[in-house]
Amino acid sequence: MTDTTDHRGRNPGGRNEPRDAAEAHGDAYPPTDAMLDAPVDPDFAKASADRLRAAWKTPTGWRYLSAVNNSEVGAWYSLTAFFFMLCAGVLALLIRVQLAVPENDFLPADTFNQFFTMHGSAMMFLFAVPMFEAISILLLPAFLGARDMPFPRLSAYGYWCFLIGGVFVLGSVLFGVGPSSGWFMYPPLATKSEGMGADIWLLGLSFIEVASIAAAVELIVGALKCRPPGMRINLMPLYAWYVLVVGGMILFAFPPLIAGDFLFELERSFDWPFFDPERGGDPMLWQHLFWIFGHPEVYIIFLPSIAIAAMVIPTAAQRPIFGYSWIVLSAVGTGFLSFGLWAHHMFTTGLPALSLGFFSAASEAVVIPTGVQIFAFLATLMVGRVTWSVPMLYIAGSLAIFTAGGLTGVMLALAPMDWQVHDTYFIVAHLHYTIFGGMVFPVMAGVYYFYPFFTKKQMSPRLGRWAFWLAFAGFNVTFMPMHFAGLMGMPRRVYTYPGDIGWDLPNLISTVGAFVVAAGFLVFAWDLIRPKGRQPYTARNPWGGGTLEWSHDVPDQAWGVRSIPYIESRYPLWDQPKIVERMDAGRYYLPDAEEGKRETLVTTVLDAVPVQCLRVGGPTWITHLAAAFTGGAFIFPTFHWYPPAIVCGVLAVACVIWWLWTGTARPPEKTHKEIGLGLTVPIYVSGPAAPGWWGMWITMLADATAFASLIFGFFYFWTASADFPPDGAAHAASGWVWAGAAALTVSWALTRYARRANRAAQVGIARASLATAAALTALGAGAMLWSAHSAGLDPTSHVYPATVWAILVWTAVHVSAGCIMQLYCLAGSLFGKLTPEYDADLWNVSLYWNFMAATVLVSAAVVDLLPGMI
Amino acid sequence: MAQHREEKTELKTFSEEQSSLWLIALGPTIWALHFIACYAATAVVCAKLDRLAEDGWLLRAMIGTATAVALALIAWTGWRSWRQWDFLDDRDHVHHRPVTEHRHEFLGHASFLLACLSFVGVLYVALPAVFVTGCV
Repeated sequence: MTDTTDHRGRNPGGRNEPRDAAEAHGDAYPPTDAMLDAPVDPDFAKASADRLRAAWKTPTGWRYLSAVNNSEVGAWYSLTAFFFMLCAGVLALLIRVQLAVPENDFLPADTFNQFFTMHGSAMMFLFAVPMFEAISILLLPAFLGARDMPFPRLSAYGYWCFLIGGVFVLGSVLFGVGPSSGWFMYPPLATKSEGMGADIWLLGLSFIEVASIAAAVELIVGALKCRPPGMRINLMPLYAWYVLVVGGMILFAFPPLIAGDFLFELERSFDWPFFDPERGGDPMLWQHLFWIFGHPEVYIIFLPSIAIAAMVIPTAAQRPIFGYSWIVLSAVGTGFLSFGLWAHHMFTTGLPALSLGFFSAASEAVVIPTGVQIFAFLATLMVGRVTWSVPMLYIAGSLAIFTAGGLTGVMLALAPMDWQVHDTYFIVAHLHYTIFGGMVFPVMAGVYYFYPFFTKKQMSPRLGRWAFWLAFAGFNVTFMPMHFAGLMGMPRRVYTYPGDIGWDLPNLISTVGAFVVAAGFLVFAWDLIRPKGRQPYTARNPWGGGTLEWSHDVPDQAWGVRSIPYIESRYPLWDQPKIVERMDAGRYYLPDAEEGKRETLVTTVLDAVPVQCLRVGGPTWITHLAAAFTGGAFIFPTFHWYPPAIVCGVLAVACVIWWLWTGTARPPEKTHKEIGLGLTVPIYVSGPAAPGWWGMWITMLADATAFASLIFGFFYFWTASADFPPDGAAHAASGWVWAGAAALTVSWALTRYARRANRAAQVGIARASLATAAALTALGAGAMLWSAHSAGLDPTSHVYPATVWAILVWTAVHVSAGCIMQLYCLAGSLFGKLTPEYDADLWNVSLYWNFMAATVLVSAAVVDLLPGMI
Repeated sequence: MAQHREEKTELKTFSEEQSSLWLIALGPTIWALHFIACYAATAVVCAKLDRLAEDGWLLRAMIGTATAVALALIAWTGWRSWRQWDFLDDRDHVHHRPVTEHRHEFLGHASFLLACLSFVGVLYVALPAVFVTGCV
């Protein structure tokens, strides 16, 4: 054990990961062969295995639902998403029945509108994106030999939010009150639509978007900080690269939509005219915000699915992936370029010809990285010895369909072509080809491939082939004719059509095909859930894969890995001969849970040197309560029941505070811990070495993006209309704006100062700073809001005062959260949770306040300085 | 294990590159900034500055300048990452060994490829300004 008087439970200086992290471990790291060959004492092996099993035991009976382990949450998550997909698929069948013959009256027009809106919304928000999160939560720790994700309770909270929101949104269609304005909810149709359908869409899905961002934070931190020792960034499984890229894309793609939802709901509930041209608003702003989300979203669902192909293909070819760096290029490049495409959904809205050109060019450019990865896959298959398995069948099918969809995509990227077929069934055919080929088939391949890992049983290859050929043939029969229907001019979203213009035959064929696809999915679903009790367990590594997930225990153990290995290869199971044997023997790191706590390793970002033994949360009900109250806060406003919504919001915050207070950054009973092979690492770290700090940083990146979207709205209104701000408009009161900004800036400085004072053991000064800062925050937030109120800005009168109010409300709400955080740290200091040694909370809160300082200054500048300049 | 000792000496050599993960994103970020600059300039000029918009040469000159700057920066990024990759030294393009040198060269290699892609991406985005003369 290291001398505890010399080493506090934090990294020296706290600023960066220790540069000499590897050297700090001395000769003990990396482990030598001699160390790894030393036998483990059998008594210790048994006792430690029992302790580990007890610490990670999955709760039984009704308490099973309180589990937070990634294997449970991931399984619920993916089954729920699959169920929502089947529901959305049923809606698709009903749509196809209605369109089978001309002049059909199977569905009334409004029901038809609700069905296609819900089909698209559910497939995107309740299936495609959550499925990525679900599969990643299930698989990522296994790829990384980690015991769990860094924030298991956050995953559980995200799941329960998703379940509540999904049932609410999807359930609305059963009561005939579902949204009916199409899955992209264009105003003014959606802002003016009667009933609560649009509110259900906006609030229900915003709620799920928040859960998606939570999952993205979890996955990014997981891929960067929870890799096994030795797994340098050049050895990371490709899946983790894709997760990293997609997580980053979620951070920049979802916030604009959340900002858009915020404006949209303000318009629907309080009549603030953001999208109403009569009062200076502009419906086009919604289109921009929606598609800045909507286009990257296609790649957000495509990349992780193609990542499954990147795991299946090397196994099928029995050789390492060809062109690892090229695939990284492709993932990162696609991630960036996909943000430059959003306006290709808006080619017919009258943008300047030059702008059309930019978006057209970027849409063509994204084909390059997408093509590169497909060629890398083909090259791997060509140079390997391919064993033809069911997962490979699905991958091959997906590449064929995706390529066809990609080619129509290249056609549509050309604005003149798009003008011809905009809003026709040609688009419907194109998008289904890309998404079926790019997402659905690879995910099905992944289910067949990873099923032995998930359940320790095998799916039936015979049923798998049946399901594939039914789905593949049915898909082409359904969607190929839609290209022709579209070219013949059939618009999407019409509930029926006349019989004499040649659309009958393609529609009838499409309907027949849709039922063949459905038959394929039934076979697949049956194979997935049919009881397999009498079937023998699968072999441990049934496909002969080379990555860490195939070191799993059969039958299952909840601990993830018996011991966390030292990695020296991209395919450790192929290249490190004794690795599984040593993992099983408990020869590697963390083979024990002496204190009976759930622990996993945290390593450095580039070289994966162990720096911390992270204690993660166990089973709990607090996440359910927090999710239920968060749900209430989002769901009650759809009925315009604001008092219960506010109560729920307050209770949700209280639950989260209780959860953080009892479960995170508790001072440990000792500073360091021996993790095996002679290595001793801290249990508690704070600042940039800590996963929590990374979590905060990444969350705030998303938050800053949402704020930037609001500011973009301000500029957008200025460019789009001649009178923004209108002549003689009232402006926010300068004095109050800057008084508020000054108070909040001082609050920021005091928070940072409190961190330093606390660390220098000047606890009294730190507490005084935090208390003063919290008071200043409250005053500052009040002053910011008062600046608009005292000047008599009426948000319903024109879009200018509405935008000023929206920016100020956004700022005030965010600094109020910052005020709660300051008080949380103050309470932590008073009750011994936060000490000069154990100050992670204060680090994270200062980081939050760095973003707040920027938010406050930008808000003040935009509402006060800009109107005078433009 | 000689390999491990080799690794430790290299750790010192390359310990300054904690930030090189960001090098990967540099080329595409320049592409993104160039893209936003072109889009914003066009939107503002076409919506707000009618006289300039009539004959589009000033707008096109602005886009041309932005493109030249972006291409130069990306070329510089590419050159830096080419040096970091150091391909001609050992002709390694796989980087699959667990040593710092491979991690270092891998990051250089990936950054280099991304710089090439960003270079092409910037050219693509600039092309409309060659063929389209104005806002309408």
